[in-house]
Order: sequence, then structure tokens, then C-alpha cells
Amino acid sequence: MMGKTIFIDPGRCIGCQACVSACRECDSHRGKSMIHLDYTDPGQSVASLPSVCMHCEDPVAPCAEVCPADAILITADGVVQQADESRCIGCSNCVNACPFGVPKIDLQAKLQMKCNLCYDRTAYGLAPMCATVCPTGALFYGTLEELQAERPGVQVADSFTFGDVVVSTGVAMVVPADKVQWPVPGGLPVVEVNGVDVR
Amino acid sequence: MGVAVSLLLVVAIVLGSHCLRDFDSALLPYAVASVFLAFGVAYRYTMWISAPGARRLFRQGWRSFFSMDNFRKAPTALPKMIATYLGFQKFLGARSHARWAAHQLMFWGCLLAAAITFPLTWGWFTFTSSTGSGPGYEMRIWGIKVIGYDSASILGWLMFHGLDIAAVLVIPGAAYFLWRRMKDRGAMTGQRFAYDLVPLIALIVVSVTGLLLTFSSIFLHGGGYEFLAIMHMVSVVFTLIYIPFGKFFHIVQRPAAVGMQLFKYTTREDEQIFHCRRCQEPIDTGPYVENLRSTMRDLDLGFDQWAEYCPRCKRVLRGSAYLTQVKKGFK
Repeated sequence: MMGKTIFIDPGRCIGCQACVSACRECDSHRGKSMIHLDYTDPGQSVASLPSVCMHCEDPVAPCAEVCPADAILITADGVVQQADESRCIGCSNCVNACPFGVPKIDLQAKLQMKCNLCYDRTAYGLAPMCATVCPTGALFYGTLEELQAERPGVQVADSFTFGDVVVSTGVAMVVPADKVQWPVPGGLPVVEVNGVDVR
Repeated sequence: MGVAVSLLLVVAIVLGSHCLRDFDSALLPYAVASVFLAFGVAYRYTMWISAPGARRLFRQGWRSFFSMDNFRKAPTALPKMIATYLGFQKFLGARSHARWAAHQLMFWGCLLAAAITFPLTWGWFTFTSSTGSGPGYEMRIWGIKVIGYDSASILGWLMFHGLDIAAVLVIPGAAYFLWRRMKDRGAMTGQRFAYDLVPLIALIVVSVTGLLLTFSSIFLHGGGYEFLAIMHMVSVVFTLIYIPFGKFFHIVQRPAAVGMQLFKYTTREDEQIFHCRRCQEPIDTGPYVENLRSTMRDLDLGFDQWAEYCPRCKRVLRGSAYLTQVKKGFK
């Protein structure tokens, strides 16, 4: 987990889309929102999940690893940057390899874009746009200590399971105290048991 | 690999210049820099395509290129991609019209300059006049006469000012990008001096010092020519040596992207579309998804089956898992 990072608490998300609108104002991808807000069971539940880039630390940035053009750079502070415009060839490898479904692709412009933690702001100590406008604190930006000072007893997790694989991330999610030792399930359905397709 | 390509270039220079008879020794630093450039590009290229992601798409690209079946089905696909993607760079227009126009100026200017400079410094192009000082000139490539012209004609003027024309194209293009790098907050985000600004400054210095050489010979009767010639040479040599290591390497990488597009295009023509396991939305072509999964396995990213789900379904499934297995509501 990065020192100062985003903490996501889907339990607080009311699906208001303020983060989606604010994200468009970020200078590094003006006019295009990079945050995803998904309704997990529309029509049945109001539950929603905001998804920013999780800035994977181990394995480090799978999107960058599969990039055939070395277009995705990771800065020393652990932020996985969006694709370098002069290098990205628009192949979509990053889009489909990301376990969190985060990067977007503009096929006409042959360019990948993704959440870069509002690098134009966070590099100067400001909070990302989404966390700045979130009315319920579902997106919180700061250190773990700052989060815990504001929400006593809160626990977070920064590892996710995808089948047998655990992915550690720079961004963390709020979890109940009794589940802090667990990696958060990544949602990958069980498709195979002992070599047998069980879909 | 790098050494082999450099040696090959040295042999080509020696043979192309008739055992150095046509080689202009005043241009030696440029030729030496180009040999180093060949080494650097070949070395970096080899390293680049050794990585699993690049290696697999590189192979698929060549496989699509050499497939007679593909050629029969879509004989115009490759020339069209080369023209629209590499030549006219339509994709840049989708990013910004101004950037497209500025990049086109730089691209054609650099291409023209490279087409003149390299053969000239390697002794492959020679200009001879049977009367000593003209006006009748002959242009020879590898010693073979290609064209004869009058130096006072329009063609003659164009022949002798090719590099000036290239400089006039490059300067406004590079100046626009430099201005953008200083004014546009999006472009400035995370920019690095050595990576983003140095190549633009180098292009402008090369072009301006090149133009000043012509200015000196026409308006100053050669005043300051030697100093300007050294300045120009230093800037060109620096730029050539920088090419393999910085932003300019995209010039070498881009053509490989045509192979990726050909691979996707030909499989799409065969209607081999892969649909999301959950929502049935098309993800990409089947061979592409399989290629990506193989790349992920090469990299020990053990969740390659996840590539069979579209990004939205990945997020929704993760949201559902969090809701059912971790936390429901405000606690």
C-alpha cells in the first residue's frame, strides 16, 4: 500500500456519480472520466462500486508487464501512469489483462487511458478529484493513520485474490475488522476444478 | 546483434562509396554516429522484442504478414495500414487536429532529412559536374547516374535546398510541441526533461543551425560557417546517438504496431470474435485473447482466464463478491 493513497469503501457509495463528473476535470485526461462506477445488481439493489486504478504492487502493474510497447511507466512513488502517448499502439493488452478492469482504450486514437491518481494534483500534495468531491467518504485520500483518525477502528485490505493468485495493491479497500486478515475476493468465478470446466 | 548490424552498415558504407572513393571525409563524424545509431537501435530493438508481450505480438504480426491466405483475402490491407497509420498517422487526428498537423510537419521533415543525410554521409549519393562549377550537375547513387539537372533550375534549387526545406517543416512542428509542453497542463503532468523536452530542443537546434549554414553562405559570404558547421555537426551527432535511448525510439517501434493491427484485422475478417464469458459482449478476436493469455502465462500472471471477461464484468463480479463475502452497507 502506498503511503498516501485512496481508500475505497463501497459500503458508503451512494452511486451519485459525483466522482465520475469530477474525474473529467482532471488535467491529465481532460473531458474523459477514468473512474468507473458500476451498479452490481441494477434493478435489485442500489449497491454500487467505484473503481479507480489499484496501482498493483505485487505482481507489479500487470498492465505494464503485458504492454508490448513499454508504454506504461511506474513512477518511483508507485503510481502506475497512463500510457505514454508516443509509445502506446492501442493493442488493448492492458485493458484485458488488468484484473480490476480499469484501463480504457480509445481505438480511433490508438491510446490507452487510465486513472493515474490525478498525478497533476497528487504530485503537488492535493487529493485526487474523485476523493475531493465524494460526499460520503466512499473515496478517501490520505494515509492509513489519517483514515483511522477520522474513522476510529476502521480496517483496510490491500490484497485481492483471483483464483490462487494474490495481488497486492497500492490502493486499499475498507473491510470489517474480522476480515482484515483476508485478501478481498477479486470476483473471478471458479471455472475449473481439478482440470474440469465447471462453468 | 547490435555489433552485427553495425558491421553490416560499415561494409555497406565501404561498398556503396566505391571503397571510400566517394566518401566525404568532412562528414566522417556523421557516418560514425550513424554506425553507433545502428548498434544502439539493433541492441534496444533486440531487448525490446525479447519481452513476452512484444515478442508474441511481433511473431503474430510476421505470421500474418507471410500468410498467403491473408494476402489473397485482403491484398490491400497492409499497404493501406502503412499509408494511413505510418504515413498519414490518422490516429493522431483522433487525439487532436493540431497535434496531428504538427506531427506531420515533423515526420515528413525528418523523413526528408534522413533520406538526404544518411546516403550523403555514407558516400552513397554524389553530385558531379563535368564542367567543374556547373551549372550542369549529375546526381549519382552508388556511382550510377540517376538524374542530370541544371543547378540554376527549380529542380536544382530543390536538390541543393532539400535539407533547408526539411528544417522549415520541422521547426514549426517541434516548436508547437515545445509550446504545448510548457503550456498544456495535461502534457506537463509527469513530463521529464530528458525524455520529453530534449528531443524537441534537439530537433530545433539541428534545424536552426542547418538553416544558419545556408544563411551564412548566402548572406554572410560564409562568415561564421566553420563554427556553425561544428555546432550543426555536434547537434546532429547528439541526436543520432540519443535516438535508441529516448523518445525517438518510438520511430523504430511504430512499424511493429502495423504487424499487431494486421494480426487483429485478418482474424477479425475471419469472424473469430471472442465474447465475454458473462455478458457476451465482444472483447476482441479469439486468437488475440489466446495470445494475451499466453503472454500472461509467460509472465506468471496466474489469472489469465480473467482475460475472457470484459472489463465491466470484472468490476461487477468484484463488486458482487465484496457485497456478498466482505461487507454489505455502511459499517
